[in-house]
Amino acid sequence: MHIDAEHNAAGVTLKVSGRLDTASAAPFQERLTATLAASSGAVVIDLAGVDYVSSAGLRAVLVAGKAMRAAGRSLSLVALQPPVRTVFDISGFSALFNIS
Amino acid sequence: MTASPGAGPAIAALHIGAEPADIARATGWLGDLAEAGGWPQDTRFALELSLEEALANVVMHAFKAVPQVPRVCVALYRGEAGRIVLTITDNGIPFDPTSLAEPEVPAGLEAAKIGGHGVQLMRHFLESLSYARTGDENCLTLIARPVPDPS
Repeated sequence: MHIDAEHNAAGVTLKVSGRLDTASAAPFQERLTATLAASSGAVVIDLAGVDYVSSAGLRAVLVAGKAMRAAGRSLSLVALQPPVRTVFDISGFSALFNIS
Repeated sequence: MTASPGAGPAIAALHIGAEPADIARATGWLGDLAEAGGWPQDTRFALELSLEEALANVVMHAFKAVPQVPRVCVALYRGEAGRIVLTITDNGIPFDPTSLAEPEVPAGLEAAKIGGHGVQLMRHFLESLSYARTGDENCLTLIARPVPDPS
């Protein structure tokens, strides 16, 4: 799992690649938490490079979403590959996040 | 001894412990088998995800406050009509993930609970998920959906 952060006028876009699984969920969540703390404005998580997500990855996204909501900030997810989108749909997470 | 769920003996088996690193070891093992066997991407995704979710439950729940050395075995079989079958056997405390209720659909982000989605995903991606307690072992059987005939 790899993350590149791109800061822009609206906030920050995190381009994630690799797998979001049990092994990578903790470092992914740490990186998300650090990025949220060090930035302001909206956060976009670009999942175009993620071909696998398990419930551990969902959990990390949910923790970030809750933190963003508590801070009154926007978190959205973009470019989900079909199997990753299915995981979000089945778990009901698609209804919790702005996904495009 | 757990009966073979397939038409014959296991095609491959992996013996692991119950540490978090064992999950990646097992999914890597399965990925190599998928690569070598030319499995369709959907089948590979379904089985890797289901294996990870099942082993995450074993690692988290099966060996809490028990003295025995964890023994976990993942085995691959061919089932009816070429279906791919995985069994996960462990010597932990009785734990039947198939008895878990589906998580409630949260009203919103604030109400969403963390956890409980692993079995929900397994039920969706697999054709069948079944549990048996045999002797001092849990055995979970995962059956992938049949691969469509390309003709």
